[in-house]
Amino acid sequence: MSNLNSNSTLSGVTATKRITIYRDMVLIAAGFFALSPLLAMHRVTDFMIFCIFVMSFDLLYGYMGRLSFGQMLYLGTGVYVSTLFSLHFSPNPILSLMAGVVGGAIVAGILGLIVVGLDGASFALTNLAFNQVGFFLIGSAFQKVTHGEDGISAGVEPWGFLDFANEYVAFGFVLLCLLLTFYVLRILTSSPYGIVIRSIKENESRVKFLGYNTFFYKWLTFVLAGAFAALAGTLYTLYVGFVSPTFIGPLNNVEVIFAALIGGAGNLFGALIGGILFMTMKDTLSTHIPQWEWVLGVLLLVIVFWLRGGVTGLIRTIYNYGKEKMAKRAAVEVEKG
Amino acid sequence: MIQTLLYGLTIGAILYFFAIGLSITFGTMQIINFAHAMVYALGVYFLISFMPMVQGSFPLATVFAIVAVIPVAYLMERFIIRRLYGESLDYAMIATYALLLIGTDVIKFIWGNTPQPISDPIGVSFQLFGIDIPMYRAVVVLLAVVVFVGLRLFFTKSIVGKIVVAALEDTEGVRCLGINVDKYFSMVFILGSALAVLGGILYAPIATAEPYMGHDILLIAFAVVIVGGMGNLTGTFVSAFLLGMVLAITGRYWSQAADTMVFVVMAAVLIFRRSDA
Repeated sequence: MSNLNSNSTLSGVTATKRITIYRDMVLIAAGFFALSPLLAMHRVTDFMIFCIFVMSFDLLYGYMGRLSFGQMLYLGTGVYVSTLFSLHFSPNPILSLMAGVVGGAIVAGILGLIVVGLDGASFALTNLAFNQVGFFLIGSAFQKVTHGEDGISAGVEPWGFLDFANEYVAFGFVLLCLLLTFYVLRILTSSPYGIVIRSIKENESRVKFLGYNTFFYKWLTFVLAGAFAALAGTLYTLYVGFVSPTFIGPLNNVEVIFAALIGGAGNLFGALIGGILFMTMKDTLSTHIPQWEWVLGVLLLVIVFWLRGGVTGLIRTIYNYGKEKMAKRAAVEVEKG
Repeated sequence: MIQTLLYGLTIGAILYFFAIGLSITFGTMQIINFAHAMVYALGVYFLISFMPMVQGSFPLATVFAIVAVIPVAYLMERFIIRRLYGESLDYAMIATYALLLIGTDVIKFIWGNTPQPISDPIGVSFQLFGIDIPMYRAVVVLLAVVVFVGLRLFFTKSIVGKIVVAALEDTEGVRCLGINVDKYFSMVFILGSALAVLGGILYAPIATAEPYMGHDILLIAFAVVIVGGMGNLTGTFVSAFLLGMVLAITGRYWSQAADTMVFVVMAAVLIFRRSDA
């Protein structure tokens, strides 16, 4: 948070800032490329989709300080809107993707009007309640359309070179979406808008006193978070091709909360690292221990009591500690002459 | 129809038992306690284990189960929740959710995954307007009223209750009087947990005991607390029965929609309440 003012100007983003963003994007791409031979490529693709979802959650929780227990609703909206669009309107993957994102944004826009005015506990729980309602609508009420618990296959067909059955194409496309999400969120969070939402996290009434319409800013953030979550959802549709109500299950919210926390909330790199860590953990633990949720619980307690900054926070602490030591040593050497 | 209404009252009573603890915890400590659902389920499993030891006496096993849960609640309060007083609400929510995850897995580990039915401990029904009404459900509703009156007396007459009510209004003010507020909060937390266990045990014969039974009621109980007003004890009582009715009446026509209807009511209340705030 220390570079809150130094890196951003009123006009938005400076040239040096832009260069660091490009550098970061190259680093991220390189990171995922490096991961793909270690795990399997299809798993890395899966990880990347989840990372987009974590970033969308982080915008809401890490940057604006609003903990939602219902972000799965927007992921699920993206999943189901794109699936139904591909079945009933057009099998074009890009159009389905756009439909899903717009659908997520619209749902977030409408529910946001109700939810955004709430704070703390009511916010978290109302989101959870809406998620439950969405789960019911998908799983039971509109069973004829969604096939309920049985799930439904998407009708997306290859379009040009965009064939999601091809591992490499899917990987490339998802990576592109991830980088795009990172870019947009990075620009947004370091713009004046980003400063306002971070200030809302610190002290909302002061921001109000400064003359900002905080309701609008919170609503906009909510909609953006919903749209990006829906983007992750549509990528699941395109990539997995078969969707079921687990994609909107309210109990799965803990996964994204956990991922954002373990990586370090309020930090896009933290979201990425958290997403990868969580998915790796889930993959390895669930194959070895049938009941592994308690591990998640124990780790969450560790984070809450001893590791608030997550992995990125830990790295930063170690780095700063090292820097201080080096500086001290240099100072001593200077004194010695 | 009368049966539906009675079912609504019964569910309302259970919701009241569960929600009162949540409401107090939130009102006094500003903590949303997800682990309440864990205590609720744990109590029922304790009951199942104690039943054979007391020759199947339901009331005796209930008392033992409540007593057995008290140390668990105390440890939770002492080592997790107390450390989060005055901290950001998010961390408290996440920590108690973590407890719920751990607790659910512990229950699965000890008692297994399969739902266990518990038989109706009274098993007698009486006739009212020509309709069979299980005695048990009437007893549950009566108990809720007794607990409500008891809690009212507790909070208006006893010194512990008065301190807690005062602290609900202004924690710092009470602390300035030289009263160790934390100690009283701890007592009330345990009281809330005991009532949740009572609710769980009373509900078990109507449904079945399963590890996720707490998850199901938790969300609805949160709705009760939000509709009734956090920390508002009478409001919780009224909204518990109101939402119990909503559950029963919706469930009669479309059972899967029952939970959703509760949240719709909650959303409506939230929208209207904001307009006068």
